[in-house]
Amino acid sequence: MIELDNATKVYGDGTVAVEDVSFEVEEGETVTLVGPSGCGKTTTMTMVNRLTEISDGDIRIDGTSVLDQDPIELRRNIGYVIQEIGLFEHMTVAENISIVPDLRGWSDEEKSARVEELLDLIELPQTVADQYPGNLSGGQRQRVGVARAMAAEPDIILMDEPFGALDPITRQNLQEEFLEIQRALDVTIMFVTHDIDEALKMGDKVAVLRDGELVQYDAPKDLLGSPKNEFVADFIGEDRVLKQLTAVSVREVMTAPKDGDGAGERPLSPEESLKVALQRILQDGSPKMVVENGEVVGRLTEADVAAVAGARASEVLQQ
Amino acid sequence: MTLGVHASWVLSSAFTGWIDYIVANQDQFLSLLEGHLVMVGIGEFLAISVAVPAGIAATRDPRAARIIENLGAVAQTIPALGVVALTFTFLGLGKAPTILAITLYALFPILKNTVAGIQNIDDSKTRAGRGMGMTNLQRLRRIELPLALPVIFAGIRTSTVLCVGVAYIGVFVGAGGLGVWIQSGLTSVNYDVMLAGAIPGALTVIAFDRGFSVLESLVTPEGVSREEMADSGAAA
Repeated sequence: MIELDNATKVYGDGTVAVEDVSFEVEEGETVTLVGPSGCGKTTTMTMVNRLTEISDGDIRIDGTSVLDQDPIELRRNIGYVIQEIGLFEHMTVAENISIVPDLRGWSDEEKSARVEELLDLIELPQTVADQYPGNLSGGQRQRVGVARAMAAEPDIILMDEPFGALDPITRQNLQEEFLEIQRALDVTIMFVTHDIDEALKMGDKVAVLRDGELVQYDAPKDLLGSPKNEFVADFIGEDRVLKQLTAVSVREVMTAPKDGDGAGERPLSPEESLKVALQRILQDGSPKMVVENGEVVGRLTEADVAAVAGARASEVLQQ
Repeated sequence: MTLGVHASWVLSSAFTGWIDYIVANQDQFLSLLEGHLVMVGIGEFLAISVAVPAGIAATRDPRAARIIENLGAVAQTIPALGVVALTFTFLGLGKAPTILAITLYALFPILKNTVAGIQNIDDSKTRAGRGMGMTNLQRLRRIELPLALPVIFAGIRTSTVLCVGVAYIGVFVGAGGLGVWIQSGLTSVNYDVMLAGAIPGALTVIAFDRGFSVLESLVTPEGVSREEMADSGAAA
């Protein structure tokens, strides 16, 4: 668990980059830090591995202050994926991946076994191990960057706009892949991005920052449903309701099937988002049946979808 | 010497006369060439041992950088002849003052390229190294030096080429070297002797230049693209 406790960063010239930011990242959770450029999200994250030193407040990992740990040792225990990937072009893919294991004194056998394992995980052929990063595509390099961060099996990984430099399609594919990898592992992740859609998609929780202050810290659904203020609402964008529907699955709102409900045309899967469901309803009419493993498990009407959007909208008004 | 004689010398012996002279004085030639190369070698070696660490130090601290780079620049502006003239009184006659002049002259290109080579490394590389828990020394050895090595080598190449020229002044303090034949050619107005001293120097320069460019590509880490090399080369 990572606890930020009034973490503050003031630079020598008096610039306040981060002010009194407090939140907790539960073990195994992914938290995305999002906000406009200059909001202090990267600074907040790098205070965790002490690339940026805290000026005031504290950050604790599993109860121990990062200030009480040797920065070198601390960083070797925390995976780090940097914005421009930062692969070393004079080292092969295998050498890049095994940097931290090497710094920690793993044997050659252990290192190459780990490289093999990770290449499988990031779905790259074993043949790239001996290639240089310069020969890889942007998406492949980014995957290697992620593998490098995971190499020494850290409990925590910090990611600074890891998919920032990619084209939209590669980016989306990598996001999906990464979500899968992340579910399979039990790692705590802090993920910086300036893209609210990415933040909502990747995070179990989203921390919205502005001018060095934490504006809202909530699960994507709650952030979409009840943005704390106008800034957050604006940042999420005009299509907030649609985004909200993206974040809710059919399973969460479907009602039990009525007697005699047949699967019908184009049934929904319970894992589908409400956004997809709404589209089907608009195309085919309501209600839609929900089918899992060939069995009708629920039904969904246009009113159910509207209720989600409406209920959340009214929550905003109450605040 | 009439114009006719001069012209016929140009036509006939310019291409062969100096070779004949070298062949006729083979033993002396070899010892002069050897003396020349020894001075260049030692001077260059000393310059590398000072300039590379100084260059690295300069990249660690911006204040040190200013001082070190200025000293390097000053060292190069002092005329080599002046260094020899000023120092032979206490370094004695012979190779020592010449080697000192060579060293001073060779410092700057190496220093400049060491600094440029390290500073031109993309910030994301050093940041990634830091973020992964490399110590300063590990970062220097594993990332900065390998990536900067081709640029540092380009500096060594430039300075070696310069120093082959500087070593000619050794003759004034009895250091030997190919300058001996230039001077004796000058006093006796014998072009063959002058050329016998000058052309081997020029050829040495070309040989060094070629040889170092081969070495440079050998020290260029595999995986660093040609394009990037050209970039950092131009910046240096």
